[in-house]
Amino acid sequence: MENKQMTLEAAAAIVKDGMLLGLGGNTLHRAPMGFVRQLVRVGVKDLRLIKTAGAHEIDLLCLADRVSSVDAGFVSYETQYGLAYHYRKAVEQGRVKANEHACYTVICALRAAASGAPYMPVRGLVVSDLLRVNPNFAVVDDPFGTGPVAVVRSIRPDVAVLHVHRCDTFGNAIIDGPRFEDQLLANAAKQVIVTTETILPAGSPEITPEKVHIPGFLVTAVVHLPGGAKPTSCYGKYSVDDAILRRFTSKDADLMVYMSAYQSADQRGGNFRG
Amino acid sequence: MDKQRIADQMTCSISRLLEDGQSVFHGVSSHLPMIAMLLAKASHAPNLVHLDIAGGVNPKSGKTDRFSSAGPELYKTADAYFSLSDIFDLSMRGGLDVAFFSGVQFDPSGQVNASVIGDYDHPKVRLPGGAGSAVLIPTAKRVVLWRTKHDKRTFTPSLDFVTARGNTWRFVTPLCVFAFQNGRWELDSIHPTSSLEEVLNNTGFPLVYKEARTTPPPTAKELALLNKIDPGHLRYLEFKD
Repeated sequence: MENKQMTLEAAAAIVKDGMLLGLGGNTLHRAPMGFVRQLVRVGVKDLRLIKTAGAHEIDLLCLADRVSSVDAGFVSYETQYGLAYHYRKAVEQGRVKANEHACYTVICALRAAASGAPYMPVRGLVVSDLLRVNPNFAVVDDPFGTGPVAVVRSIRPDVAVLHVHRCDTFGNAIIDGPRFEDQLLANAAKQVIVTTETILPAGSPEITPEKVHIPGFLVTAVVHLPGGAKPTSCYGKYSVDDAILRRFTSKDADLMVYMSAYQSADQRGGNFRG
Repeated sequence: MDKQRIADQMTCSISRLLEDGQSVFHGVSSHLPMIAMLLAKASHAPNLVHLDIAGGVNPKSGKTDRFSSAGPELYKTADAYFSLSDIFDLSMRGGLDVAFFSGVQFDPSGQVNASVIGDYDHPKVRLPGGAGSAVLIPTAKRVVLWRTKHDKRTFTPSLDFVTARGNTWRFVTPLCVFAFQNGRWELDSIHPTSSLEEVLNNTGFPLVYKEARTTPPPTAKELALLNKIDPGHLRYLEFKD
């Protein structure tokens, strides 16, 4: 099997201007922050993002002006850290197009992509103004006679970026705790980049059908990046970095200060080659 | 402290709306309904099925992080894993009994705006978005709304944008409980900490009410359970202002 482990720089080079990126995790849990910071460093632009419920990764990419559109059901920190200020401003100033979803419609768009279908029917949506404003939604007549049904267009990410707990160099990945939409993202995307807390050695007894959540053959790149979800949480490993998030979500957020706080950790991890 | 009294009232009022055996879902930014669900389960609804974004079915503890109501505790102390996709699918096929949602603007006809203030394409304020509400509010059997603000900007005659409408059933606010009847929100009961006058003065649409009942206050037993379930006071988080 092919060794897919590479540096953070090499993996980030897979992402080109204008690509559609599917992001793993949920709100402040296991977001692929180390990889996202690398995208900020290299200056890739006009990214289109898709996620059921995002927070800091979308906010950071908006502050750094790397985003052209966001497809998501919810973009905000939760109660404690308030609204995603930089995302909010970017949409209000017309720099970013917000395609609001219902979380489930993100799941359905990815399911359509994963199964090669052009669209997926969804119940409920017909009574929302979202139908009118989101170009990925339409209403069709059910050919089997049940009446009008909302459909969501297939959305196939160019790249899914996931941060996991353990992974071998072939890309067999294990997630502890909630898996959110990570497995669906891996099935739906054209390429999958995995950043991992730990690299499992070849022949590790952990690589079994019972334990592996994402089979390595779907994965393009593996980056050893301990702390790669920080300042968001990583189940069983670390909670949020409260001080950094507080500063980032305050009025005097400073991109350079934020980035420099993670410079050495991202580099140390990302340079490691097994 | 008054805000704590009001939060306790809201938590107990929400808890009492839940029935034994129901499947109930709460999302992110939802500490208050999460604690209310745990209270219901610890008192009158031991067979309530607790579903959440972390995917933990029936978590035994809600002592989760202050920054998230989708925290690790909900998974770690649960019986089984039932992902967000599974929860949505359950609601789509008619199997979800109760879902909790909030929003920013609400009109008398039960519509919810959690998307934008102003025009959608050129918003004055881009809000977080309705999360699952556009598909769950129409498909869950009962939708309970809550909001820790009750003023004329929150309860408005019409909305800037309709994120969702559907099976809204009760609305618990810091001042009162609304019941959805005859196609609109009607005043169901007023909290002992408020008054009919205060509710009328802070609601931006004309209120329909038959009698101004008083919401039963939290009982000593409920308060004792709350302190056990929620020693970290997560239910007060939304009242920080």
